[in-house]
Amino acid sequence: MTTIEMTRMEWTTTAMNQEHIQPRHERVYLHPLPVRIWHWLNALGFLVLIVTGFQIRYVDLMGLMSFETAVQLHNWVGLAVVANWFLWFIYYLFSERATNYHPDLNPKSFFQRYFLQAVYYGWGYFHGAERPHKVRPSDKFNPLQKLTYQFIMFISAPLTFLTGLMMWDVQRFQGLIDLAGGLRVVNTVHVVMFILFVMFVLVHVYMGFLGKKPSSHYKEMVTGYEEPHE
Amino acid sequence: MDTRAKWLSLLLATALLAVAQAACAAEPPPADPDAKCLKCHSKKLKKMLGDGETMFLQINGEEFGQSVHSVIGCTGCHRDVAKSKHPSRAPVASRREYSLKHNQTCSQCHAAKQAEYQDSVHARMVAGGSDTAPLCSDCHSSHSIQARAAYEPVSGEPCSTCHQEIYQAYEQSVHGQARSKGNVIREAHVRAPICSDCHQAHQTTAVAASGYLRDTCLDCHDGAAVAHEQWLPNAGMHLTSVACAACHSPMAERRVDLQLYDNLEQAPVSQQSETGAPFEQQLNAIDPAGDGLDPVELWKLVRQGSRDGQPVDVTLRGRLEVTTGVDAHRIAPSTEAVRSCESCHQGGAEGFENVTVSISRPDGRKERFEADQKVLNSVVSVDSVGDFYLPGGTRIRLLDGLLLLALVGGLAVPVGHMALGRIIRRKKGKQ
Repeated sequence: MTTIEMTRMEWTTTAMNQEHIQPRHERVYLHPLPVRIWHWLNALGFLVLIVTGFQIRYVDLMGLMSFETAVQLHNWVGLAVVANWFLWFIYYLFSERATNYHPDLNPKSFFQRYFLQAVYYGWGYFHGAERPHKVRPSDKFNPLQKLTYQFIMFISAPLTFLTGLMMWDVQRFQGLIDLAGGLRVVNTVHVVMFILFVMFVLVHVYMGFLGKKPSSHYKEMVTGYEEPHE
Repeated sequence: MDTRAKWLSLLLATALLAVAQAACAAEPPPADPDAKCLKCHSKKLKKMLGDGETMFLQINGEEFGQSVHSVIGCTGCHRDVAKSKHPSRAPVASRREYSLKHNQTCSQCHAAKQAEYQDSVHARMVAGGSDTAPLCSDCHSSHSIQARAAYEPVSGEPCSTCHQEIYQAYEQSVHGQARSKGNVIREAHVRAPICSDCHQAHQTTAVAASGYLRDTCLDCHDGAAVAHEQWLPNAGMHLTSVACAACHSPMAERRVDLQLYDNLEQAPVSQQSETGAPFEQQLNAIDPAGDGLDPVELWKLVRQGSRDGQPVDVTLRGRLEVTTGVDAHRIAPSTEAVRSCESCHQGGAEGFENVTVSISRPDGRKERFEADQKVLNSVVSVDSVGDFYLPGGTRIRLLDGLLLLALVGGLAVPVGHMALGRIIRRKKGKQ
């Protein structure tokens, strides 16, 4: 029996026996206040950065605001998002919840769970199967989320900040720009990261609707508590 | 003393005075050497030259008398003229050759100016064999040399003799207008520049090939750098990568020039000497069709410079500039300068339709070669045109495609997932 067949069988059984599952009355505090503040500030920042990023790049196709305004807004909001990233980093550096971002030291097990999570979204979710990842405050991300957020927070965001900073004041950071291979290389990295962020935001917003109810994850990110799975 | 003795003394003194006067009158007055020269050279003398032209040897004595050189006289410059050997029968090939021969004469008194001149684009053009680049006498004339103050009025002389069109553009510019109206700009008394204020009188520089002119602008407009910083992001970079005239001559046609720069030498790449392969040959080998360098050909050109066995590290330094020197002089009042970022920072902006690749000539001027405008938007140029990038204006087309793909992909995930859910639910419903 293949892994997929085993998974399907397990989820079908789970779905059939779902009525026997006891509802959890104890609500789990998933998102502490600093994390929620950081998240929504970040969301607002990302939105402004993406809109102004489009405006800066496509002046000939868009007319939401002048190029000058878009650049100024992009620069200031960019700096705010960098500062916000440091708030997030410092919070997790001194929080026991930092385990959420710890890499799985067993890659084989991680990718098996990664695969199970992907199959859940593609199959189990529609069959009412139980989520393969049990959410806990110290381990709130499923393998798909964990890999995505690790990449976003530790690779993509710093690269975007660094390249953005270089372009913000080219002459001040000329040495770094030369080291990176020139202004065009720096810009290309920045734009590639921008492209990834655009895709991430679109998918992230949609995935937010895939809770028990479409509003569950959004409520969780406001109240901090996991929504009850009745 | 008695009366007789008094009369004798008076007679003796008068006699002595008369003898002395007679002696003085006998000595001839000092001869004017210039008069000797002009005795012949005021006539319509002429000499046949080797090139078949005629060189007139007539000198206007009145004009020479009014020139600043009248004090040193003819022999001040014509020291080689000896009575025994004059007039010389030696053949003279052409007026140019004669002027060239006598060009060094000026340095006998004006050594410092001559040294400056030797460092000028004019002297380098002369050294390169130019028949038209000016010598001392072309600007100062041979015999009617005037004091510096005589050049002050806005006459354009002597520069306009060769640079007529440029001078006309200058006359219409904010600088020329201010000068002609008594140095007044916006009711403030300023000293508007004439040619030599920007280009220097003797050490005339090929301004388009260097950052010299920008610094010259900032010499007078000393608050300009700070003023730009008030509103222009990356003001310092703009002042380096955009020629002042590209914005301050708003009607000018613009282009991007990519100058080959040797990072090891810290100088623009210059045309190779006679012993090396001329740059044109290298270019022809890379672009045999001669239709302008495309992104791959440009990449090869830059790479080739780094791999031909010599320790060279070549990059391209981009600069937005005006297409002609005439346009560069049509400086408008600052209120009319291009201030809209969108004029450059958007796809298809006029300034990016013309692209040239340039090297430095031995005389300091640029030699430009056409390049395809795609070099500014190609992913291949990430390396070769690494230091010239304008957000929006020179964006890489491949990244536009990737962004579109991300948008489509980002929307396809929810749409696909919802469609999958619908199919599964329908299937479950049927069961």
